Amino acid sequence: MNDALVISLIACAVGASVAGVFTASALGHRIPTRVMGWLLAIAPAIVFVALLAQSPAVLAGQTLSWSVVWIPSLGLHFSLLLDGLSLLFALLVSGIGALVVVYAGYYFAPKHGDEKPGGENGGPQSRTTPHSRFSNTDARFFLYVLLFMTSMLGLVLAGDVITLFVFWEGTSITSFLLIAYKTKDEEARSGAFKALFVTGGGGIALLAGLLFASAISGSTDLATILRSGDALRNDAWYPVMLGLIAFGAFTKSVQAPFHFWLPKAMTAPTPASAYLHSATMVKAGIYLMARLYPALGNTPMWFWLLIVTGGATMLLGAISGLRQSDLKSMLAYSTVSQLGVLMMLIGKESPSAFKALAIGVLAHALYKGALFMIAGIVDHGTGVRDLRRLGHLWRVMPWTFVVCSIAALSMAGLPPLFGFLAKETLLAAELEDVLPRLIRIVLPGITVLTGALMLAQAASLTLDAFVTKPGTGWPASRLGSDDTRDMPNLHAHEAPAGMLLGPAILAGLSLVIGVLQPETIASLLASTATAAYGAKVKVSLELFHGVNLPLILSGIAIALGVVLFTLRSPIRGIPSVPALNMNLIYDGVLRGLDRAAEVVTRTQGGRIRIYLAVILTTLFALVIVFGELWRVFDGVALPDLSRRLFDEPLSVQTALRAFSLLLAVAASFVSIIIRRDLLAIIALGSSGLAVAVVIALEPSPDVALVQAVVDVLTLVVLVLALSRLPRAQRKRAEGLNGAGAQTRNVLLAVAGGAMVTVLCLYAFASRPRTSLVTPYYEQNAKPLTGAADIVGAIVVDFRGFDTMIEITVFSMAGIGVFSLLRYAMKKRETAGLPTEGEIEPDLAALLQRPLPPTITGIDGVRTSPFIHALAYIALPLSFVLAIVQTIYGHDQPGDGFTAGVTLSLGVGFWYVVFGYDETRSRLRFLRPGLLIGAGILTVMAGSIAPVFLGGGFFSPFDFGAALGLPLPKGFYVSTSFLFEVAICLVVLGAAIFIIDTLGHPERDLE
Amino acid sequence: MEIIKALSIGALFGIGLYQLLRRNVIRSAIGLVIISNAVNLFLLSIGAYDGVVEAYAKAVGQRSDALPQALILTAIVISLGGFAFVLALLYVIAARYRTGDSDEVKGLSH
Repeated sequence: MNDALVISLIACAVGASVAGVFTASALGHRIPTRVMGWLLAIAPAIVFVALLAQSPAVLAGQTLSWSVVWIPSLGLHFSLLLDGLSLLFALLVSGIGALVVVYAGYYFAPKHGDEKPGGENGGPQSRTTPHSRFSNTDARFFLYVLLFMTSMLGLVLAGDVITLFVFWEGTSITSFLLIAYKTKDEEARSGAFKALFVTGGGGIALLAGLLFASAISGSTDLATILRSGDALRNDAWYPVMLGLIAFGAFTKSVQAPFHFWLPKAMTAPTPASAYLHSATMVKAGIYLMARLYPALGNTPMWFWLLIVTGGATMLLGAISGLRQSDLKSMLAYSTVSQLGVLMMLIGKESPSAFKALAIGVLAHALYKGALFMIAGIVDHGTGVRDLRRLGHLWRVMPWTFVVCSIAALSMAGLPPLFGFLAKETLLAAELEDVLPRLIRIVLPGITVLTGALMLAQAASLTLDAFVTKPGTGWPASRLGSDDTRDMPNLHAHEAPAGMLLGPAILAGLSLVIGVLQPETIASLLASTATAAYGAKVKVSLELFHGVNLPLILSGIAIALGVVLFTLRSPIRGIPSVPALNMNLIYDGVLRGLDRAAEVVTRTQGGRIRIYLAVILTTLFALVIVFGELWRVFDGVALPDLSRRLFDEPLSVQTALRAFSLLLAVAASFVSIIIRRDLLAIIALGSSGLAVAVVIALEPSPDVALVQAVVDVLTLVVLVLALSRLPRAQRKRAEGLNGAGAQTRNVLLAVAGGAMVTVLCLYAFASRPRTSLVTPYYEQNAKPLTGAADIVGAIVVDFRGFDTMIEITVFSMAGIGVFSLLRYAMKKRETAGLPTEGEIEPDLAALLQRPLPPTITGIDGVRTSPFIHALAYIALPLSFVLAIVQTIYGHDQPGDGFTAGVTLSLGVGFWYVVFGYDETRSRLRFLRPGLLIGAGILTVMAGSIAPVFLGGGFFSPFDFGAALGLPLPKGFYVSTSFLFEVAICLVVLGAAIFIIDTLGHPERDLE
Repeated sequence: MEIIKALSIGALFGIGLYQLLRRNVIRSAIGLVIISNAVNLFLLSIGAYDGVVEAYAKAVGQRSDALPQALILTAIVISLGGFAFVLALLYVIAARYRTGDSDEVKGLSH
């Protein structure tokens, strides 16, 4: 119910969108980037203030929450939660966010008469920007950063694990975008992909783990999950769940061995590195583990997992860091080390560990954020980030030097800086009695070594860059050529005050907290630790507690650090151990994926038949397995079937049916074995006619008629198409079928046939013996529609709307065929041959014209006069048949479909007999487009007209009777009649499209 | 009778399938028609009533089930439309790839 939480998120979103708006708007180009930075910092600043306003309640121990229903059907809520732990992180995110945005404004603003630093800007377009205006690439940066901030705030404020996950992924994606900010840079792209690959993979694991937790605790609500700690810890799936969640957290928080993406992420602009890759995002894993500690922590597995991983990461990062010559890489490795420290602290179940955790998070964010920004300033001022080439900078950049020194002192863990306290509390936590003896010896040892290495690094980056001459502290083996070493300092300049503001505030806070030890910070940290630990934790910021073991160890660390710093040159000269390199493993994994993809795609040979075979096999397997076809006849069905088979009286009809079924099968089989395609087509025609007989014996005369005429038309269309496909190639294709392929096809066909047989038997045995629908149609066909033919009544009346759409589909098929092959027509036009519309439709002249002596049929075959005579008779006859069928179809067999197809057959006959050109010129009045249009308009008019005549849409209406027309008996000019006419017209039109297009002599193609 | 019907439909389907899988595209087209015949027969056979007379209002006796008949009536015509479209596609393919062999139809850039 806390609005401030929502306001904070909204404010960020608004800020992000403001940047986005400026991407495109011209206004953005008139505002200097520096001003833009200040303006955009308002959004995070508001968030920061809003959070501060809430802090008294939180510090008093309250937990604020707010929730809204997100996907009710899944029981999902979008909920936010603000307690001590969230508060610290949210303050860091928004506070450092504001400073980074201001800093970035200066970072991206080009210096006078100079290019932007180190090519950090995105593309060539920013280089063409003449002066320090806010450019599109700058806007891109601000957009990403503000989007990231929104995600990160959402992550730390999430009160629901799904909400948390969504924001978690948001941070991964914005991080990817920022690392790949220099999109043209190969290294930046691969680094970005690496980061996304690792953190994205972790994200998936995290989701799985969170779902486990939600399933076990019964809710995705974070508070509920935190309360069901006992159930979670005792669940059998606990190790898996913890493993998955820890994997997500480890990849995000760069724990070894997943740390390798962070140094590569340093291609991001430095403000982003300071913000995402040190102060905030990489701490998301720390936050997550600290957050889930009450639910999942306090088990041996948790302890060892986090202690070992954290300890190893801490040492590894510290050792690798000292060897880095790149400023940002060195900082990145020290970040890795520090994150290891924090992860290790969560592993321990004592108040002091969580106290050290809270202090460590804040201390690290303050000094590391500052140091990264300093690195950016150095880069900005000199154009160089390489420690080996930097030196003497304190003369030109005195203020930067001061700020850097303060931050570095905190990093080194020297009093009176805040970092010192962090190290003290860390050591104190490690020396506690609750820990196993081994741990109590090993961990402080590692910590002292790490602390020493940190000090050496902090000293190196301050002294080597700002005080000593370039090249100091590096063995000769790792120095490049000498000539460029002093170059950068020639152009070096002090950073503008605004740019120094961010690091100065952060470094200053390190000092202020260390020296003044303000009570508010202490209570903030106490509340953080309490929220994470689940019980009261006291935090005191006092630096000295007398001479005790931690202080002694700290002293040892400082002494050792000084030694290491002095010896840094020889240490850096030691060749690096080619140990387990995660980058190599990563490359190997990627290569493996590529290879796997290659193997998988190799199965796709491009042969369509194989695909079809695979698809069919899979389909059959699915039907058989999930349909449990072997169990279909369990129990009742079989005896019933056999009884029906043997008890049935052997009538003439039955014998005929069986005979025609056999004929259909036999004819189809002939179509397989026969060699010539034309004969195969004719066999197919016979098979179809036999099917028509079966249908007629059903008895179902209407369907039988349609089947018969459609079968013949199919034949015609196939023959037309056959003449278009090169015969030689067809024959060759036939000969190429190998024995293996034959066997496979036969097996597939037999399997498919057997499966369908079983399905049929099952369907026949289990079909309902009474229908709910049919009796209604039977009783109402005549009274409601005036049609004695029930099938016809269903088609044009009861299911008229359906039929209307079906004829539209059919016309689409015709138009589709026409448009697919239309280019053939176009070629014809360019060839100068007559096309539609060029010949005068002088019908009389045409009819009087004597037949040319060389009339050839389709495919250039000469046809006999006898066939011509048949064709002359057939066409008018088909017209008569069609008219009779449309008029009396509602009482007799036949309907609009039959009529249309019969007409098409007459026309098709002409095409076959007289050839394309002759038929086109003689039957000019048959315009397919016109026919289809007229048909569809008729059916629409016929269905809408009753609405105005007192009926409803598609209700039957007898126009003939209404007008009192003298019509012969049995002929009704009704809506049904209009529908039949329409069907006839549409079918005819589409069929002519098909015949005409396929029958078109495509000479160019041969 | 029903067993014969089931066997015939299965046989038609199998034959159609075999034709569909052949390399010669015309045979594939033939297979398509046979399969649609088989399916239509199947639909017709699963009506609720085994009629002895046509489904006409004035007919006396057990009428055949009009519902599946009406369904396959339109299905037959529609499958003709679909079939013609398939043929047109085959034609375009034959023109583009200059082949009647489905195995030679590979890739898109021709």
